[in-house]
Amino acid sequence: MSVAPLPRKAKGQRPHFFEDPAVDRLVAMVMGLAGEVAVLHDRLDTMERIADRKGMVLRSEIESFEADDETKKEREEWRAAFLDNVLRIVQQELEGEREGSSRTPYQEAIHLVENAV
Amino acid sequence: MTTMMTADQRRQFEHGVLPRPTQDERARQEFVRDFKFYLATRVSPGNRVAYESAVVPAFTAANGRPPKDRHEVRREMEKHPYYKMWSSLQRTSQEMMWNACQMPVARQLDELIGVAGSTQAKAGSLRLNPDLKMPAYHTAVDIHCQPGGYHFEAKEGDVSPGAVYDRAVYLYAMGRMGPFNDDMGASIVNWLRKEHPNFKPKRILDMGCTVGHSTLAYVEAFPEAEVYAIDVAAPCLRYAHARAESLGKRVHFSQQNAETTDFEDGFFDLIVSHILVHETSGKAIRNIMKECNRLLTPGGMAVHAETPPYKDLDLFDAFMLDWDTRNNNEPYWGASHEIEPAALAGETGFQPENAFEAMIPSAFEAAEAERTKVFQGGDFAGGGLWYIFGVKK
Repeated sequence: MSVAPLPRKAKGQRPHFFEDPAVDRLVAMVMGLAGEVAVLHDRLDTMERIADRKGMVLRSEIESFEADDETKKEREEWRAAFLDNVLRIVQQELEGEREGSSRTPYQEAIHLVENAV
Repeated sequence: MTTMMTADQRRQFEHGVLPRPTQDERARQEFVRDFKFYLATRVSPGNRVAYESAVVPAFTAANGRPPKDRHEVRREMEKHPYYKMWSSLQRTSQEMMWNACQMPVARQLDELIGVAGSTQAKAGSLRLNPDLKMPAYHTAVDIHCQPGGYHFEAKEGDVSPGAVYDRAVYLYAMGRMGPFNDDMGASIVNWLRKEHPNFKPKRILDMGCTVGHSTLAYVEAFPEAEVYAIDVAAPCLRYAHARAESLGKRVHFSQQNAETTDFEDGFFDLIVSHILVHETSGKAIRNIMKECNRLLTPGGMAVHAETPPYKDLDLFDAFMLDWDTRNNNEPYWGASHEIEPAALAGETGFQPENAFEAMIPSAFEAAEAERTKVFQGGDFAGGGLWYIFGVKK
């Protein structure tokens, strides 16, 4: 399955609200993480409800489950994608540095649309 | 009864090109929507508390008067830790929204392009212009932080910006614009029926239609009319065309800049736009109004929908609504909220006394309980009212 290379960062300087922009990045990480926990919660909730409907004894089986090599590999790949999503803000800072928009003051865009174009 | 009248009011309608998310992708999107709703209802109101209990008393003690305009309010609020945290969370929620909407589109893009590309134009039409130059107000920054803006194309026949936008608008408005995201168009239709019951437009133009959310409300309301819709972004128009055809709605889409179109003089008797104005520029809106004047037949009408002008809001609400100007890649938002309709009409060839403005109620009543009744950054469609301004020719 191919995933189209859509741009991930919006062009434009990102504002920061705290004195140290690192705090804003941490806020984004915490909420990214919270989102992924919510996704996980919904999925577990779905599994348990389906198991209940089928009259299955799921909880004790989960406790005694042992992952095989293939499962371990799939989980490693999943965690890499997971970290990529949670740490998106770090990649974004870098992308901003590369395209140079982090150094173009946002005020210039307001000036441009109010006066120049 | 048409599809649009019988659709489930509590979820976005799954037309033929709407991306289909996996369970996890859907959960991620629903988290963003709930996060935004939480911010609007449980976090954002605290900004007024901080303002009234801390910022105003401190400012007044130091200056012998309260803040006099929204810029002074902003300079003081930017120092307050509560406002900093809300702003940081709000900006993050916007970026998470685009991220969550992109994932299913990136995964299914070839399929979506295939569906759009094989659309048989049974009702309407699509006319693209590869030579059209994207205006600078769309390339300076990516508007409202959508990565790549409206116009990014990863491959031939791309529809990804339209597909991402369609779902994101539903999450951004937290479903409060209805299953077709058409509340602004539907609200103007209600207003026309009430205020101008004998007005039966024969040709209608929707300027800056993106994926045609509001456009379809006019097709629904005026089945005898020919409906045209223009936008600068080809990938949005491809998606809009496929979406409209999937819903059986006749719209003639074409890729054009609203500042200068190729329609004949006097071709339309109704020209509308919905949240177009704030995504243009000071020069462009004047060009657009001049073009409206050229395109309207005598007795015709132009109507533009936006959020309310700052003059109608108290100082603090104006400051909160202005958040997007600096923090959500909406550089013309602030200046567009200070447009004077009569002055603009006079500058663009209309009679100033034929200009009008009004606050009109949202047509989508099913969302009434989830509206905050406040106009504030990050709470789109929460106010329950839309601001319209325009002019009769």
